[in-house]
Amino acid sequence: MKSPIVSRIALGLYFIIFFGYLMGPLLVMSVSAFNSPSFPSASPWECFTFEWFSVLWHDRHIREGIYYSVIIGLGTVILSVSMGLAASIVLTQISARLRSVYYTMIIAPILIPGVVIGISTLVFWDRVGRFLGAGEGSLLDGLFHNGLFLTILGQSSFIASYAMLVFVARLQRFDPGLTEAALDLGASHTQAFRKILLPFLRPAIASASVLAFLASFENYNTTTFTIVDYKTLTTVLAQKVRLGINPSISALAFAIITLTILVALASEAYRRAAQRKEAVWQGKVARPAARLWPAWLRGNPAAILFVLLSFTIIVAFGVAQRYSPAQCKIAAREAKQAEIQRSIEELRARRQEEAPQAPAPTTDTAPAGSGAFGNVFAPGNLPGAPAPEPAPEPAPAPDAPANGAFGNVFAPGNLTTGGDN
Amino acid sequence: MSTGVAVDLENVWIKFGDFVAVREANVNIKGGDFFSFLGPSGCGKTTILRAISGFLDPSEGHVRIGGRDMAGIGPNKRPTALIFQNLALFPLMKIWENISFSMEVRGASAAERRKRADELLDMVALGGQGDKLPSELSGGQKQRVAIARALCANPDVLLLDEPLSALDLKLRQHMRTELREIQQRVGITFIYITHDQGEALTMSDNVAVMKAGVIDQIGSGKEIYDAPATPFVASFVGENNVFRGKIRSIDGTRATIETNRSGVLTAEITPAQRGKMAVGDAAMLFVRPEALTLAEGGTDTGNTISAKVVNEEFEGNTFSVFLEGDGAKPIKMSLPNTGQTRIAERGKPLTLHINPQTTVIMPAGELASD
Amino acid sequence: MKRKLIFADFFRNNGALMGSILIGLVAFWLIVLVILPQISMLDYSFRFNLPPAEQGGPKDVYTLSNYQHLIYGSDETHQSFNTIDLMVFLRTIVAAIMVTIFDIILCYPLAYFLGQARGMGMARLLVVLLIIPYWVNEILRAFALRIIFGDGGLINEALMLLHLTSEPIDFIRHDIALYAGLGYAYILLMLFPMYNVIESLDRNQIEAARDLGASWTRIHRRIVIPHAKPGIASGSTMVFMLSAGALATPQILGGPSSLWFTQLVYQWFNNSLNWQQGAAYAIVLLVATITIVMTIMKIFRVNMGDIGK
Ligand SMILES: Nc1ncnc2c1ncn2[C@@H]1O[C@H](COP(=O)(O)OP(=O)(O)O)[C@@H](O)[C@H]1O
Ligand SMILES: [Mg+2]
Repeated sequence: MKSPIVSRIALGLYFIIFFGYLMGPLLVMSVSAFNSPSFPSASPWECFTFEWFSVLWHDRHIREGIYYSVIIGLGTVILSVSMGLAASIVLTQISARLRSVYYTMIIAPILIPGVVIGISTLVFWDRVGRFLGAGEGSLLDGLFHNGLFLTILGQSSFIASYAMLVFVARLQRFDPGLTEAALDLGASHTQAFRKILLPFLRPAIASASVLAFLASFENYNTTTFTIVDYKTLTTVLAQKVRLGINPSISALAFAIITLTILVALASEAYRRAAQRKEAVWQGKVARPAARLWPAWLRGNPAAILFVLLSFTIIVAFGVAQRYSPAQCKIAAREAKQAEIQRSIEELRARRQEEAPQAPAPTTDTAPAGSGAFGNVFAPGNLPGAPAPEPAPEPAPAPDAPANGAFGNVFAPGNLTTGGDN
Repeated sequence: MSTGVAVDLENVWIKFGDFVAVREANVNIKGGDFFSFLGPSGCGKTTILRAISGFLDPSEGHVRIGGRDMAGIGPNKRPTALIFQNLALFPLMKIWENISFSMEVRGASAAERRKRADELLDMVALGGQGDKLPSELSGGQKQRVAIARALCANPDVLLLDEPLSALDLKLRQHMRTELREIQQRVGITFIYITHDQGEALTMSDNVAVMKAGVIDQIGSGKEIYDAPATPFVASFVGENNVFRGKIRSIDGTRATIETNRSGVLTAEITPAQRGKMAVGDAAMLFVRPEALTLAEGGTDTGNTISAKVVNEEFEGNTFSVFLEGDGAKPIKMSLPNTGQTRIAERGKPLTLHINPQTTVIMPAGELASD
Repeated sequence: MKRKLIFADFFRNNGALMGSILIGLVAFWLIVLVILPQISMLDYSFRFNLPPAEQGGPKDVYTLSNYQHLIYGSDETHQSFNTIDLMVFLRTIVAAIMVTIFDIILCYPLAYFLGQARGMGMARLLVVLLIIPYWVNEILRAFALRIIFGDGGLINEALMLLHLTSEPIDFIRHDIALYAGLGYAYILLMLFPMYNVIESLDRNQIEAARDLGASWTRIHRRIVIPHAKPGIASGSTMVFMLSAGALATPQILGGPSSLWFTQLVYQWFNNSLNWQQGAAYAIVLLVATITIVMTIMKIFRVNMGDIGK
C-alpha cells in the first residue's frame, strides 16, 4: 500500500486470481463441451463439435432426472414458499421477547447439514408409517417411502428458510396500516391478505419461487438420501461424474450457464426499464419519443446484451443443425498420422546419421525411440507440450476450408495438433 | 347519507403491559358532532381512536357506538371508517379502486363501484383523476382520496388521525374549512385527532384535551379557551401568562391570590375548580395576552402589575409586548394594531391592567411543556 | 396467562381463518418437517440395527453401541480406537475450518472493493457476473475442477509448460482438488453477506479515520472489520456448515484413499443399510458442527439474528 502503482498492481493481480478461480473452471468446462475428444478436456483442442449436446439431448437418464427434478422443484416451491411466507408474517407480529428464539428456529434449518436433513426425513417418515400401522404395500406405506414425497418434504424443510429471508426483507417495507385500512373498510382478514398483502408481496413471491426452485433443482445432499428409487438430475449427474464422464456433462453445464446469464440479463434489463419508467413518471427524464429503437432497449445495455445473446443462441442452433465435424475429425486423424509418420522418418534419418559412428547402441535406440513415441501419446502430454522433437507443424491450409465456417473461426491451426485418444 | 351516531367511552383504560396509555376515559360524543381529541404527541390519542375503530380492545371499560357495546366486534364489522395518520392509500390500486375498496369487499360489480367512486371524486373536487395511482397525486389530493375512500364505506362515524399534519400551512388551512364543510354536508359524526390547538378550535363542536393518557377537559372550543379546567389545558390551548402564588381569600366565584412577584391579584376561579380551593392553597392565575391592557393614565386601579419591557414584536395585526415576568418566561401582552406607532420603550416599566372576567385562577399544577 | 394473551392478539390481528393457516403452516414446518425428524433420528441412533421382524420386540432396546463404534470400532473390548473413522472426522472438521478461513481471506478484499465502490456500474456488473457460478450446481462445479485438476488437465499442462514439474501431479490423490473445490463451491456464500454489510458502512467513517491519520491497516482493523463482523460471521457459518456437510464435492474430487465424514454416513446408509449407525454418525456431525459454530459466535459476540442477512 506504499505507492499507488504497487497497490494497483496488487489489486489487479488479486482480481485476476479471484475471477480466474471463480470463472476459470466454468470457462474450461464450457470449452470442453465443444471439443471432440470423448474425455472432457479443453486443451488438446481437436475439433469443434456440437455432438455432446446431441448426446446430452438423447441421454435417457438425464431426461428422466430433469423430469423428476422439475416435479420435485414445483412441489418444493409450493410448500416452501407458503411455509416461508407464513413464517415471515408471524415473525413481523411476534412479541419482541419471543422474536429471537423464534428467528433462531426458523433460520436453523439452513445450518443443518443436508445429509442430516435427508436422513432424518427418511427415518421419521419410515417411523410414522410404522406407527400408523401402514402395512407393506399399503397406500400410506407407499407414500411414506415414496422418493418424490420424501424429497419434497426434506428439501422444503430448509428451502423454506431461504424463502422466509426473501419475505422478511420485503415485509420490512410493508406498512401494516394498509392491512388495517382494508379491515377498517370492511374487508375480512382473508380479503385483506389477498387484496393488500399478497399483491405487495408478489415480487417477493416470484423471487422466492425462483430461488426455491433453483435450490431444489441443484440439491444433492438431502436428495440423495430421500430420493429412494427415483432419480433427479443431480443424482444422475453425480453418478455419471463418479462412474465415468464424457463432455455431454460439460454441455449440460454450458447450457445452464447460458441460461443463467440470460436470466440475469433479463432481470437486470427489467430492473433498468422499471427504473426508467419510474424516472419518467417523476418527471426526471423526458418521456422517450417513439423512434427506431423500442424504448426499452435504449440506454439499457443489459437489454441489448440479452437480445444479442438470444440471437447468437438461435444462430448457433441453426448452424448446429448443418455443421458436422466429420471432416475435421478425419483431418485430425490424418494430421496425427502424418505427425507419427514424420517422427518415424526423422528418427530413421537420425539413426542413419548416427549409425556409422555408433553402430553398437542400435538395439538400445529402438526402445528409446518408442519411449519418445510413448510420450507423444501419453495423456496430458499431447501436442502443445514440448515434444521431444521440435517438429514444424504441417500446414493446415489444404484441409481447413473443408471444415465449415466454425472450424475456421474457432480453431484454425489448432486442428492439426489434435490427438485422438 | 347516514346520520350521525353517538359514540360513548365508558371508563376506558388501555394498557400495554404495565404502561397505561389511556386512563379512565369517559367521553360522550353526540351524533353528528365534530369532536376533536387534542393533546401533545404521545398522549394516547391514536390509541383511543384505535380502540373506537376496533384495532385494539380496551383493557377495561366499554366503547359504545350508537348505544351498542363494541366488545368483540372486529374493525371490519364496526360502522366506523378511519383516516390514517399516513393515509394508508393502497399503492398498487388506482384511485377509483382505492375509493371503492369497501364496495369491492362486499362484492359490488365493477360498474357500480366505478360509478360511486366517480361521484365521490366529484364531491372531493378530484373529478377525472380516478385512473391515476396514488403515487401520481399531490399531498392534498391524496388527503381527499383518503376522505372519499372512508366516506364510500357509508360509515356512521368517521375517525381522522391527524390527517392534515403532512400538509403545508396554506393547504392545511384550506383543508380545515373543506373538512368542516364535508362534515356538515354528510352529517355523520367526525372524531378528529390533532396536536394542533388551532385546528381543534376552528373545526370542532367539542374538544377533549388530553395529557399523558388522561382527559383533562371536555367542552366546546370557547369553553376550553375561556375557562380551562387545569393548568395544563390553560397553557396548552392558546397562549397564556401564568402567575404563581397562594390563595389569600375567596369570595364566591372569585379569589384573590398573593403572587410570588407581581403583587396581589383578583380573578374568577375557573368553573371546573369552584368549591375545590381553600385559602392558603398554591394556585395559578392565567391571563391571556389579549386580556392585558395598559392601565389608563398609569394610575393603579387595583388588579394591576408593573414590569419592565423586555422586547416588542410587530406581527401585522397585533403588537406583542414582552415584559419581565415572575418565571423564566416573559409576560406577553398583545394589542390590536390600530395605527399606533409605539407602545413602550425597552427597559421602561409599564403598568398593566388585568380584566378579572377573562382571567382564571385554579389550583397549581403541571403546565404543558413547549 | 401471558401465553394465552399472545395467541389471542395474534388471532385478533389475523382473523380466525388466516391466523390458523399461518400458525398451521409454521407449525407443520417446524414440528413435522424439522423437530420431529431430528428427534426420531436421535432416537434411531440409540437403537440396534434389527431385522424388521424383531423391531419393537424384546431385543429392541436403547444402546450406545452406535456411538461406541465411532470411537472404538468393532472392538468389543474398547481397547483400541477406531482411528480410521476418528481421523476422517477430525480431518473433515479441520479442513472445513481451513476452507472457511481461506474463503474469508480471499473474499474480504473483493467484498470491500465492491461494497465501497458504490454507485459504480462496474460493481453492479461484477455482482451480476458473480451470480453465474452461484447457480451452476455443486456437482457441475466439482466436475469443472476435476477437468482442470485432472492428469491431462489445464493446471498440470501449465505447470509442465513452465517446467515447474516434469510429471503430472496427482492433485486428486493429494486432496488439493478437494480443498480447492470446497473453497470454490461456497465462496459466494462468504462474499455476499460480507459485501452486504460493508456496503452499509458509511464512507465518511473511513474518510474521517483517514483524516485523523489512521493507516490503512488500522482503518480495516478498527473500522471496517468490526462493522463487517456480522457479515463475516454469517458467511463463515454458512461456509463452514456447508463444507463440513458437503457430500457431492468430496465424492467427486476426493482422493480414493481419503474420505469425508459425510461419505461415511452415506456408506452406512446406502451400502451397509445400517440406518441406526448412519443416524449416530449424522448426529455426531450435527452436534459437532453446531457446537463449533455456537462457540465461535460466542467468542466473536455475534448472534443468530445476524445469520442470513
Ligand atoms: N402497541 C403499543 N405497544 C406499546 N406501547 C404503545 C403501543 N402503541 C402506543 N403505545 C404507547 O402509547 C402512548 C400513546 O401513543 P399514541 O396513542 O400513538 O400517541 P399519540 O397521542 O401521539 O397518537 C405512547 O407512549 C406510545 O409509545
Ligand atoms: Mg398518533
